Amino acid sequence: MAQNPMRHRVLALYKELHRLGRDYPDPSYDFNGRMRKMFEKNRNLTDPEQIEKAYNLGQYIKNETLALYSLRKYRHLKRMYGDSSRSSTDDPPS
Amino acid sequence: MSFLRAALQTSLRSSRVLATPRISYSLRPQAISFQRATFASQPALTKDDIQSRVLDVLKSFEKVDASKLSPSASFAGDLGLDSLDAVEVVMAVEEEFAIEIPDAEADEIQTVQQAIDYIAKTPAAPRRLLKVAFRLSRLLI
Repeated sequence: MAQNPMRHRVLALYKELHRLGRDYPDPSYDFNGRMRKMFEKNRNLTDPEQIEKAYNLGQYIKNETLALYSLRKYRHLKRMYGDSSRSSTDDPPS
Repeated sequence: MSFLRAALQTSLRSSRVLATPRISYSLRPQAISFQRATFASQPALTKDDIQSRVLDVLKSFEKVDASKLSPSASFAGDLGLDSLDAVEVVMAVEEEFAIEIPDAEADEIQTVQQAIDYIAKTPAAPRRLLKVAFRLSRLLI
């Protein structure tokens, strides 16, 4: 079991997602709890193809979460100052 | 050409002049040991210190039954933790001691004693400073 490379990959993915989940902006979403349930749901998978599929889904979620975090600053600024492209002060009415 | 030769000679002479004190400087041991002393002043972690800190980390886990906790307890058998919990435990230990445990070795850690032994053989990270830096870096990213 210890030599299984897939096991290491999955555990590494869990580790990364867990680390990301701690900084999730909305605590009521319970990112880590949900993520854990998804891992536990797939604990009995034996087909390598299905495992790979589930692993890829996990990678996808990781990348989406990273993208969400990188946009966080931008979204904060937008919330503070409003959407400048729709502001009426810059462009005179035609 | 003569002025070139003169320049060469003066540069050679000056380098020879410079070289002599440099050698004598490097022979002075106290200059070097002073430099080292500023970095090596961190006291080494004692075995008891490591053990109590690892046990404190485990106590903070809600799934862990504090009454079953002992240095010889295994994660899966005695504490009822699965492999995902074990990953979380290793992560918490990493942060407590401000070290990074490679995945393959983290997977080998199955008991509390193994975690203690691993930290004991790992070169100690400067405690407070690294811990603060670690938390700060996580905040900034």
